[in-house]
Amino acid sequence: MRMHLQLHAAGVLAPGLASLQDLLALARTGAGASAAGLPLASPATLPPNERRRASQVVRLTLACAEQALQAGALSGRDVRTVFASDEGTGEVCQQMLEALATTRLPSPLLFHNSVHNAPAGYFSIAQRNRQSATSVSLGVDSFAAGLLCAAAEARSTGQPVLLLSYDPAMTAPLHAFLPVTHATATAWVLSAPPTPAAPPAAAGLTLELHDGGAPVDALPGWAAPWAAHSSARALHALAVVAGPDPGPAGLTLAIGGQRLRIERASPGEVPC
Amino acid sequence: VTERLQGAREGSGQRGRSAAVWGIAGYSTVNAGGRGNAASWQSMATGRCGLQRNALPWCDLNAWIGEVAGVDDVELPPALRAWDCRNHRLAWLALQGDGFAAAVRAAAQRHGPHRVAVVLGTSTSGIHATERAYAAWKREGRFPPDFAYRRTHALDALCRFVAAALEVTGPMVTVSTACSSSAKVFVTARRWLECGLADAAVVGGADSLCLSTLHGFDALQLLGAGVCRPFDVNRQGLSIGEAAGFVLLDRQPRAVNFLGGGESSDAWHMSTPHPEGLGAQDAMRGALRAAGLQPRDIGYVNAHGTATVANDRAEALALSAVFGACGVPVSSTKGVTGHTLGAAGVVEAIAVVQALQQGRLPPSANLEQADPALAIDVVTAGRPLRLRHAMTNSFGFGGNNCSLVFGLGH
Repeated sequence: MRMHLQLHAAGVLAPGLASLQDLLALARTGAGASAAGLPLASPATLPPNERRRASQVVRLTLACAEQALQAGALSGRDVRTVFASDEGTGEVCQQMLEALATTRLPSPLLFHNSVHNAPAGYFSIAQRNRQSATSVSLGVDSFAAGLLCAAAEARSTGQPVLLLSYDPAMTAPLHAFLPVTHATATAWVLSAPPTPAAPPAAAGLTLELHDGGAPVDALPGWAAPWAAHSSARALHALAVVAGPDPGPAGLTLAIGGQRLRIERASPGEVPC
Repeated sequence: VTERLQGAREGSGQRGRSAAVWGIAGYSTVNAGGRGNAASWQSMATGRCGLQRNALPWCDLNAWIGEVAGVDDVELPPALRAWDCRNHRLAWLALQGDGFAAAVRAAAQRHGPHRVAVVLGTSTSGIHATERAYAAWKREGRFPPDFAYRRTHALDALCRFVAAALEVTGPMVTVSTACSSSAKVFVTARRWLECGLADAAVVGGADSLCLSTLHGFDALQLLGAGVCRPFDVNRQGLSIGEAAGFVLLDRQPRAVNFLGGGESSDAWHMSTPHPEGLGAQDAMRGALRAAGLQPRDIGYVNAHGTATVANDRAEALALSAVFGACGVPVSSTKGVTGHTLGAAGVVEAIAVVQALQQGRLPPSANLEQADPALAIDVVTAGRPLRLRHAMTNSFGFGGNNCSLVFGLGH
């Protein structure tokens, strides 16, 4: 079964990339990614108390989400959200593991910031957003799983969905098991036509599940440094979906035993 | 197609002959109330407390816990041994019980294994394996050679393990929204079925005892020193339990059906509920809308009811706002199971399914004196009641809320 989606706006944050335009330029020329880390400002939208406590992943996701919301002229207050990451609070979990292995006295902040849905919680506080927020994971296939959740939610509810795909940098020693060196993130404002409240579409895409077997697309060369990041698949997919014509027709990702085929489509295309 | 889709969109329909239902084709749970559906329900129906004073050899916290008997003795079959950890042992126990694996096999035969989705919730997955490995790294400067982070602690490990154990290959996802995780999986799976991404879905989840949640809740001063007493005037905090539960959903109307869910955010605080339970109200009203029901149609609410001062007060206010003061019988079964965190949603969904099937309200276990400040009709003793529809609430950190409505089939 093929699902049609509209992409209304997107956000991109990665070393050397601060916008969708930066990503498209990188995909076109293969140059532009930076080996340096990504400086992340503390989120101005959070109340002062929460702002001080904001961890790397909260800064990453809030900044990326704001980029997409501004680009799409969409209110952050009403949009439904899906947050997809392999281990979105790995760094915080590790600080908690350190406390548990020594004093066994983790700070209360550390504990509530360690839950996978901490970025979604802070986003809802920052935007005063009381809509559904769903945080999901599927290892390196987290983006494909999150995209499927966002697409199904957009279609079932008839409302736009903001999808965040992100991986914060992981620190030693667990970096050995989760080799994410730099933070990377994308944000997608998606809807399933017809969605009357949706802003104008910038691009279109279709999704289709296929039963196993088909080869999964390798990451393009420019994304190779981020091979271990679930969100590198999202950077690749965004470059295909929002890229200039003519470009690749689509890409194939894994989601468990299934393959998710993502194809570019005209933004105006509406299923009948 | 467009019209049909719009008609089916969440919250748009009245309950009627055409309203969508999602049949419950099988279920299974293990929790401190009992291993297996019958033992678990027996404890819940009678309010038998399954909690004990903590005697875990690896944790010296002064607290009451809901430990599932015999988890340490579970041996996974050789083909699944690479996934061995406490969380997967718990999941394995539930998968083996109550004909659940056979029900999934039948669904896989009927629809094809690739048409059976796996949508599971967990808060901490197998983090206890990493706690042990990390402590070893502190002591010895290296991780144990058999430490398998990806197959134990990673959030996707639960889905991949369950799919391997059940030999299904459909699309999968782990939902991790703290204590609403395995409630939200019902809503996600419903959307996947609705969109034709699968023909049946294994939903549910597992969370197991670990240092992170025991000491984490202790740090937040939310852990009771005594046994948890939801809605009691002297409640002091929650007791942590471990559990696994699974439900097989498909599109066929059955004896009990999933009718719809509501999801919301508090947009208030990371670990304190909105004082008037605004997000909780949104979730309950959303679930009613999705099910096409009115508040008066609900005969019983299985509350989140953690026994923290703040949760029970906010939830009672939210229940009064939605159902009217003392407008619906309410109980929390966490006095039986403890707060099983990411597994609580499915454990309590199964309790609601059983309450509907048995026509019986489970009491709020461990209740001595109901808090007079709470305007809710707390079920103090189990009693028979003809039920058609019932609701369960799950609220998590980050202000993440989910309510589910189940109903008897015609």
